[in-house]
Amino acid sequence: MAAAGPITVPLEVYRFQPGVDAAPSFRRYTVEAEPHTPLLSVLLRVRAETDPTLSLRYSCRSAICGSCAMRINAKSRLACETPVGPEVARHGRIVVEPMANQPVVRDLVVDQGPFWQRYQQIEPHLKVDPKHPMPEGRPNPMTPAQVERFHDTPRCIACAACYSACPAVAADPAFPGPMALAKLYRYVVDPRDAATQDRLVRIQTEGLWLCLRCHLCTEACPKDVRPSERIRDLKELAIAAQGATEPGSRHAVGFKSNLRERGLLTESKLVRQTFGLGGMLGQLPHGLAIWRHKPEVARRPRPIEGKEEIDRIYEALDTEHEP
Amino acid sequence: MKLAYYPGCVAQESGRELDLATRWVARELAIELVEFPRFSCCGSGFVDEANEVLNVAINARNLAIAEAAGLDVMTVCSTCQGMLSLAKLRMSDPTVRAKVDGALRPLGISYRGTSNVTHLLRVLVEQVGLDAIRAKVRRPLSGLKVGAFYGCHLLRPADELKWESPEEPHAFEDLLAALGAEPVMYRGRVLCCGFPIQFVKPETAGRIAGRQILDAKAHGADAMATPCPLCHISLDAYQKPAERLVGQKLEMPVFHLPQLVALAFGARPEELGLSRHLVPTEPALAKVGAAAR
Repeated sequence: MAAAGPITVPLEVYRFQPGVDAAPSFRRYTVEAEPHTPLLSVLLRVRAETDPTLSLRYSCRSAICGSCAMRINAKSRLACETPVGPEVARHGRIVVEPMANQPVVRDLVVDQGPFWQRYQQIEPHLKVDPKHPMPEGRPNPMTPAQVERFHDTPRCIACAACYSACPAVAADPAFPGPMALAKLYRYVVDPRDAATQDRLVRIQTEGLWLCLRCHLCTEACPKDVRPSERIRDLKELAIAAQGATEPGSRHAVGFKSNLRERGLLTESKLVRQTFGLGGMLGQLPHGLAIWRHKPEVARRPRPIEGKEEIDRIYEALDTEHEP
Repeated sequence: MKLAYYPGCVAQESGRELDLATRWVARELAIELVEFPRFSCCGSGFVDEANEVLNVAINARNLAIAEAAGLDVMTVCSTCQGMLSLAKLRMSDPTVRAKVDGALRPLGISYRGTSNVTHLLRVLVEQVGLDAIRAKVRRPLSGLKVGAFYGCHLLRPADELKWESPEEPHAFEDLLAALGAEPVMYRGRVLCCGFPIQFVKPETAGRIAGRQILDAKAHGADAMATPCPLCHISLDAYQKPAERLVGQKLEMPVFHLPQLVALAFGARPEELGLSRHLVPTEPALAKVGAAAR
C-alpha cells in the first residue's frame, strides 16, 4: 500500500447517451483522494464537484445492495468496495466502464432486464408439495447438514458482476448466466423443494451445458458464491436425475466411459459419443481437414500400463452412475 | 532438474507437435523429463462434470505415481494442470478423501499429497529463470508481435491455484520478451477459448474463439501463443469455422508455448511439427528469419 496521504487518481470514465451521442467516448477526470477511498465515493465527488451529468447507479455504499457493479480496469466488480489506491498502483489509472452483456441506458447505468428475466426463468422460489405443506410453526425444517449444501448461494446480492464477466452470456443468449444457475442449484438441493426433478430436466435443455467452466464468474463474485462450482454440481445432479440426454451431458458421460477404455482419451470415438452418427456428418468436412494435418485423431491410443487399476476405481466409485 | 512429465492425452496424439517441442526445449535446458506409462487421462473437466469423486480418484492415482518417485509433476496443458491441482485441493476434504482412499487402498496406491503440480510455463519462468532463458536465445524473435493466450485453467480459480493475478498476469509476456518477441497486451488473453463447448454447441464455441483472435489481431499481434493444447485446438484447428462465425478473415498463426521457445533457441521449424497446424505459421516464421527456404 502506498504511503499515507492523498494520491492523484486519473479516471477514464465511459460516457454514452444512446440516441443523443453518436458513439461512446471516455472522459478524463483527475481527483485527489486517499488510497483507501472507494471508487464509488470518488465517482460521486466527480459528479458533485465536476460533472453533474455523469450517470451511475448505487445505493447502500456497503456492498450489500449490489447496485454499483461496473467494470473497473476491465474487471466486473462493486465500485463501493474497490479502493482506488491499488488500482492506480497496478494500472496507473482507473478505466471505468458499464457492466458488459447488458445494454447501456446511459453512462455507467445498464438495463438489467435480461439479467432479471433469466433469473425469473429458473423460478427462484420454493415449490412445496401441496400434499406435504410445511409444518405449522416450523418454517425451516432443515438439518444443519442440509443447509450446509447451499450455504454459499444465499450470500448472492444479485449485483450481476458474474453476468457481466461471463463469456458464455456474451456469446449465446441461450445461456441463463452464472447467477441464475447458482440460484437454481440452491432450489435443487433444498430438501423442501418438490420440483427438483423437473428443474433438472428442464435446465438440461435450457442452457446448463453452455457453461465454459472458465471460472470468470467465481473470480468476479464479490460474495464468494462460486457460481462455476455450483454449475458443476448442477451438471452432475442433472446427469444423475435424467441421464445423458443433451450434447453436453452426452459429452461428459461419453468422456467418462471413453477414459475407462484405455486410460487415455480416444479422440475419434468421443466425437461419435457426443454427436451420434448423424451429427458426425455435420462435423465431417472440417473433421477431414483436421485429420489431414493430425491423422492421430482417427487412431486409438495404446492402453496405459495398469489400466486394470482404472477399472477398479470405476467399479468402486462409479456404480451409481452406470445405467 | 528432474520432473515427472505428464503430457496429457492431446500432446500424445493429435497435438503431438506440443510434445516434440517440449522435449526439444527440455533437452536444451537439461531438464530431465521422467515418463510414467501408468499416467492416465486427467478427465479434462468433463469427467469432473459427470462424477466429481471419480475424477478426484483418477487424478489422486496420477499424483501418487509421481509421489512414489519423489517427483513434482509438470504438465504442458493448462487443463491437466487444473485437474491435477483440483484433485489435490479436493483431497483435503475428509469426506472426499475417505471415498478416494477407499478406492485406491485395495490397489496398493497411497496418496499423500507431497508432489507439487506445475506447468511448463511456470517451470521456465520460476525454476529455469528468465536469465538462463535469455542466455540460450540464438534466434531472437525480434519484431514478432505475439499475443500470449493464457486461457482459464492456469489462472482460475485464483484463490485455489495461488499463482499470478487472474486479471493481470505477466509470466507469459515476460517469457516472450526474454525470447526477444514483442508481447501484445489485449483483454482476451485471460479469457476463454471456447473449447469446453466445442462439442456441445460448435457455433458458440467458434464465436468465442474468433473474438479472442480478433482482439489479439486488433492489438497488432502477428501470432498467438498458448500454454494449452485445448486452447490450441480452438484457436488453430477450429480457426476456419471461427472465421465464418465472426465474418472476418483471421489468418492468425497460433504457436504452442514451447515451439516459440525452441525457435528462439535455434530449433529448425521442421523439428517442431509446425506443418501439423491448420493455420500456416510461415508468415510469423518469416518475420524472425526462420522460414523454410
